[in-house]
Amino acid sequence: MTLGTRPAGFDVDPSLYRHLADAQVNVELDTGDMILNLGPQHPATHGTLRLVVRLDGERVVASDVVIGYMHRGYEKLTEFRTYPQITTLINRIDWLSSFANEVPFIHAAEQLMGVEAPPRALYIRTVLTELSRIATFVLFLGEMGLQVGAITPAFYGFRDREYVLNAIEAATGGRFHPNFNRIGGILTDLPWGWIAETRESMRKILKSCDDFEDLVVANPIFQQRTRSIGIIPAELGAAYGVSGSNLRASGVDWDLRRDGKPYLAYNDLDWKVWTHPDGDSFARYWVRLQETRESARMVLQLLDNLPAGPVMAKVPRIIKVPEGEVWVNTENPLGEMGYYVVSKGATGPFRVKIRTASLSNVSIAPWLLRGVYVPDVITVLASLYFILGDIDK
Amino acid sequence: MTSGALRKGPLKPVGELLNYSRKYSLWMFQWGLACCAIEMGAALAGPRYDVMRLGVIPFPASPRQADLIVISGTVTDKMAPAIKRLYEQMPDPKYVISMGSCANCGGPYWDSYSVTKGVDQIIPVDVYVPGCPPRPEAFIQGIVLLQERIQNEDPADRWAGKHWEPIVVPASA
Amino acid sequence: MTDETATAEAAPGPSAESTALLERVTAALGADAIVESGEACGDLVVRIAPDRWRDAATACRDQLGFDYLSFVSAIDWMPAPTLSEEGSGDTSSPVQPKDQTYGVAGSAGRFQVFARVASTRVPRSGLTLKTDIDETSPSVASWVAVYPGADWHERECWEMYGITFDGHPSLRHLYLPSEFEGHPLRKDFPLLAREVKPWPGLVDVEPMPGEAPEAETEAGEAEASE
Repeated sequence: MTLGTRPAGFDVDPSLYRHLADAQVNVELDTGDMILNLGPQHPATHGTLRLVVRLDGERVVASDVVIGYMHRGYEKLTEFRTYPQITTLINRIDWLSSFANEVPFIHAAEQLMGVEAPPRALYIRTVLTELSRIATFVLFLGEMGLQVGAITPAFYGFRDREYVLNAIEAATGGRFHPNFNRIGGILTDLPWGWIAETRESMRKILKSCDDFEDLVVANPIFQQRTRSIGIIPAELGAAYGVSGSNLRASGVDWDLRRDGKPYLAYNDLDWKVWTHPDGDSFARYWVRLQETRESARMVLQLLDNLPAGPVMAKVPRIIKVPEGEVWVNTENPLGEMGYYVVSKGATGPFRVKIRTASLSNVSIAPWLLRGVYVPDVITVLASLYFILGDIDK
Repeated sequence: MTSGALRKGPLKPVGELLNYSRKYSLWMFQWGLACCAIEMGAALAGPRYDVMRLGVIPFPASPRQADLIVISGTVTDKMAPAIKRLYEQMPDPKYVISMGSCANCGGPYWDSYSVTKGVDQIIPVDVYVPGCPPRPEAFIQGIVLLQERIQNEDPADRWAGKHWEPIVVPASA
Repeated sequence: MTDETATAEAAPGPSAESTALLERVTAALGADAIVESGEACGDLVVRIAPDRWRDAATACRDQLGFDYLSFVSAIDWMPAPTLSEEGSGDTSSPVQPKDQTYGVAGSAGRFQVFARVASTRVPRSGLTLKTDIDETSPSVASWVAVYPGADWHERECWEMYGITFDGHPSLRHLYLPSEFEGHPLRKDFPLLAREVKPWPGLVDVEPMPGEAPEAETEAGEAEASE
């Protein structure tokens, strides 16, 4: 994208995007540290996250992340609910990609029962999971622009999300929180005309990704705000449990859709895992942009090859899951989400450990925020992309 | 006092005009907590459900400049003091919309050990918008119903704390 | 070393991968550290002796190549309290069995800490580790020095179960407000809302438009908790 005339000597050398002000302005003045509280109500903390930072001038010396303002007690609540009731509830953990939350839990219950969903159901689940991924990511693409100061991408993000939510609503009845999975398959088949409309929406999403690339990624202000900010080293990220696009942006080629136990129709598709070697905020944005494109292409492939058949396997009316334990983890839009389900043969589980991606993603924030400037705190948090419901359960 | 002075008699048009201008310039304090915040965001920032055409501007810089607060999402016991504090910072006349079943009554988490069963336990609510999450259209209807109430109300009555019923957005309308 | 789950109907033995992984774990830790092992739907579960918990973490990271920490959490094996009587017609709250059973790889008592580690370089690799916790003084070594991500997970474990982790830098509340009393995920922590007002279950069964009203017990599990 041409930007018009630039001052002479201005080039896009990445070494220029380092922190511009390395000079220590506080050298002669004996300034004490200031403790600043960001949140829990703050437009830029993505919900009810509280950040307590100790500042030396503009630079963060130490930070502490206080979470729990959205803790709803999921793990206790699952002990008092039946499996279908839990499916309704767990939609709301990661509330942007709600269909994707149900998938590992339902898969866990199906494994314990020894039930397999029919292929058509698996394909439709995959389509809806990828649509949820697109819905989450386009909102991220728009909203990260907002966090660094560009307002227009946010409107594009919400507009594109509407295409996907239309599709999800037409199929499941709910814009988000569809509660569409059942143990053994899905609730109903797709409505007439859905496939053609979703294909059209995917083409719009692909065009919109090109718009994001021109508008945000190529923008020199965005590059200056995000290059070399918040670099996560790969080994440290893995030790912290950082997963998903955050880890792939640090160069780790690991995607549970390909490298985990097979769980949906991903093995039938021809798709690519995107990584970026830098590990900074720009890399995390870039990886998510490519993954949005990839998801749109995957949806198009899935819709072309949708098998015929039933959408629900034979399961008893009242679901009692046999005794056992199972761990299922999947590549959710925010990262690795998993459920460790302990069942004692009742209509509800004995214990469900919900492993959410954002808890681990944010746990690296105190380490990551040492030495950054205050505006970069916002950039780093925005690029990690967490959802408070996912952190706090 | 002036109770009634702006509702009848020669000053009635002034009262109407004041109410009209108040209802179409609501500044909304963003209190997005959970999933309902995304629907609220779709209503505010989405070009499809644009709520700014009703005069509701969602960008006040601080609660001291806001006259409408929309509690959208689950209220936890940890968050409740913050909500109370920020509500008290808002100047009168102020309105509260409780959006979503979590804010109305605790919602799907009614039996949780850490959830406040409804924001009306902490602050008085003007409009209840039920749903999980309510569609952006339902939220906009809540705003429109609130605007109708503002048009017909007497600020002096509100200041005096005269009894008023909260509005519940009907499920089929 | 014993390996097999107790379920009779899951007849096949441990898979080849689990057996091979168990051999590697035994070689890295020594057979005395492993109390019992089992398989949970294809995943190897190994119960480690409580005093070797931190060694197990170090072995996982350095010798077995598990560089990724998924989670650290705990299970309370006390039989769950019953909210509704079996046969009362209320099918909405599950009735858990009253007998004391332990899961895959057994347990020595009420509390267990369990963790999951995986490798980002080898596909389909991962290991679940469990260890027993003494009920009277629940504590175990902390993994923070080995996997820094265990920091928040152990804080959560402490506030939810009351298990202390020796060597953790600052064990304080993660999710709950600091004035919270009690450890919510323990089975004897009551959900007061349900005790005060029990879930009515399927009381209002409205017929679909045009249908005759159904019998109450026929409607099965409630999908309408919204």
